Amino acid sequence: MRTFLILLTRELRSFFYSPVAYVVIALVMIINGFSFRAAVAILERGPQQGSLVSWTFHSQWFWLSYFFIFPLLTMRLFAEERKLGTFETLFTAPVRTWQVVWSKYLASVVLYCLIWVPSLANFFIFESMTAGATEIPHGSLYGIYLLIFVMGLFNLAAGCFASALTSNQIVAAVLSFTISLMHYLLGVFVLYLGRRIPEQFVELVHYIATVEHIRVFTYGLLDSRPIAYYLSLAFVFIIGTHQVLEFRRWRV
Amino acid sequence: MIDVQNLTKTYVGKTAVDGLSFKVEPGEVVGFLGPNGAGKSTTMRILTGFLSPTSGTARVNGFDVFHQSIDARRSLGYMPENAPLYMDMRVKEYLQFRGAIKGLSGSLLRKRVGEVMDACALTEVRRKIINNLSKGFRQRVALADALVGKPPLLILDEPTNGLDPNQIRHVRELLLAFKGRQTILLSTHILSQVEQTCDRVLLLHQGKLRADDTPQNLVRKLRAASDLHLEVSGGTGFEEHLAKVTGVRKITAEKQEGNWSHFTLRIEARTDIREAIFDLALKNRWQIRELRRELPTLEDVFVELTHV
Repeated sequence: MRTFLILLTRELRSFFYSPVAYVVIALVMIINGFSFRAAVAILERGPQQGSLVSWTFHSQWFWLSYFFIFPLLTMRLFAEERKLGTFETLFTAPVRTWQVVWSKYLASVVLYCLIWVPSLANFFIFESMTAGATEIPHGSLYGIYLLIFVMGLFNLAAGCFASALTSNQIVAAVLSFTISLMHYLLGVFVLYLGRRIPEQFVELVHYIATVEHIRVFTYGLLDSRPIAYYLSLAFVFIIGTHQVLEFRRWRV
Repeated sequence: MIDVQNLTKTYVGKTAVDGLSFKVEPGEVVGFLGPNGAGKSTTMRILTGFLSPTSGTARVNGFDVFHQSIDARRSLGYMPENAPLYMDMRVKEYLQFRGAIKGLSGSLLRKRVGEVMDACALTEVRRKIINNLSKGFRQRVALADALVGKPPLLILDEPTNGLDPNQIRHVRELLLAFKGRQTILLSTHILSQVEQTCDRVLLLHQGKLRADDTPQNLVRKLRAASDLHLEVSGGTGFEEHLAKVTGVRKITAEKQEGNWSHFTLRIEARTDIREAIFDLALKNRWQIRELRRELPTLEDVFVELTHV
């Protein structure tokens, strides 16, 4: 456990040694400002279905920030160690593979949480500025942030996996972006196909559709199925990462 | 300290290490020699638990490097080739991190980091970012990292690679200072260093052990012929006379300096014909100004045993 904490601290520090952490936090703050402003603009037009929360997370701005976070946070994790050769010093020290994998993954998760904190502040600042004149449904606000958290767990795990596969950070970023985007598009494509496909298939795709999850959670509903879905996917990718790193010690 | 039995490592379609067996006793300094691609680094990576062996076993400090990997790794300090380091950390911070994951903490950690920085002459750069250090300093940081856990065994993969002569000398002096107190397995291409620092040499070629002996014995047992330099004057037809001496394989006439003729005689291995030459000169009333035998070096052993 002590070794794990030491590794985790190093990983977290290493995010802040490079400009990556600051740039990502700043960019997401700006983009979230846009999506928040877009939601306010919609509400200004008159009574609408949906709340400030649901409009914020349905804007295109939100998706813009969503996709570039994961590659930026995870591409460095394993690829850089492979490139520098520090893999060898790391794994010849008395550390276990799971300690390395989880410390890197958790470091990216911590930073991911940090990134979303300023956007949460948007809502509270707005609430206090308008002296309660706007209604912000707190249930759906906490719901959506819970969903963003578990979606992050999955996408970051996929990013770790991509980073473990290669020594080139660009390749890792492209892979990670592709996994996140393909998963998203899988959920979107039924919207375009409409009802020309069997009902059961639509049901199945709704189960994995990120957009649908966001719709449900921004309406203040807590659905345990997406949470279980994202957590298990995250787990699968972390196991995959572990296996990729252990591969060199396989006896075939 | 190290006990390797029948170690084999096969990559797809290529055998890197082939049935290697050797032992290293506590306190020994052992040089690992061989051409590039002979399997030195692969063997070291297996010993440090970074790679798994395809077959065979290896023990470090009594721990199996595959099944008791963590315990084995605790007993050794490893410096990989080219000294990989985290470029964004500062020297002291890096050593503290490495010491901590090797199990040191608190005042002991601070003390050890101070000690290894002193030993490797890093104290003045302790606040510098590793990326801004020269190759020599980086190499020393990596060495300090290997030392920080006070392991009974050091495994160093080309610790002097890419250093200038002064830095090489510094590393050699460091290694000599550990001699007798620390078991060291080091690979290098600098053969003069091996002759000066190592108690024993393991020579690897194409994954197989070709020689396991002290540097002196290796040179002595060498089958290679040695050279004799001779400068004579006061006669003619030196070459015909010299050719008759038993043990001479080849005579090369070198430059002529006034009356003095300079020859290089290639003589059979393990023979000494210097007395015979002297007798010959005495008989023919030659004058000798130089009669010098050039002993084969470890370099000759290396070339002889690994020449394709």
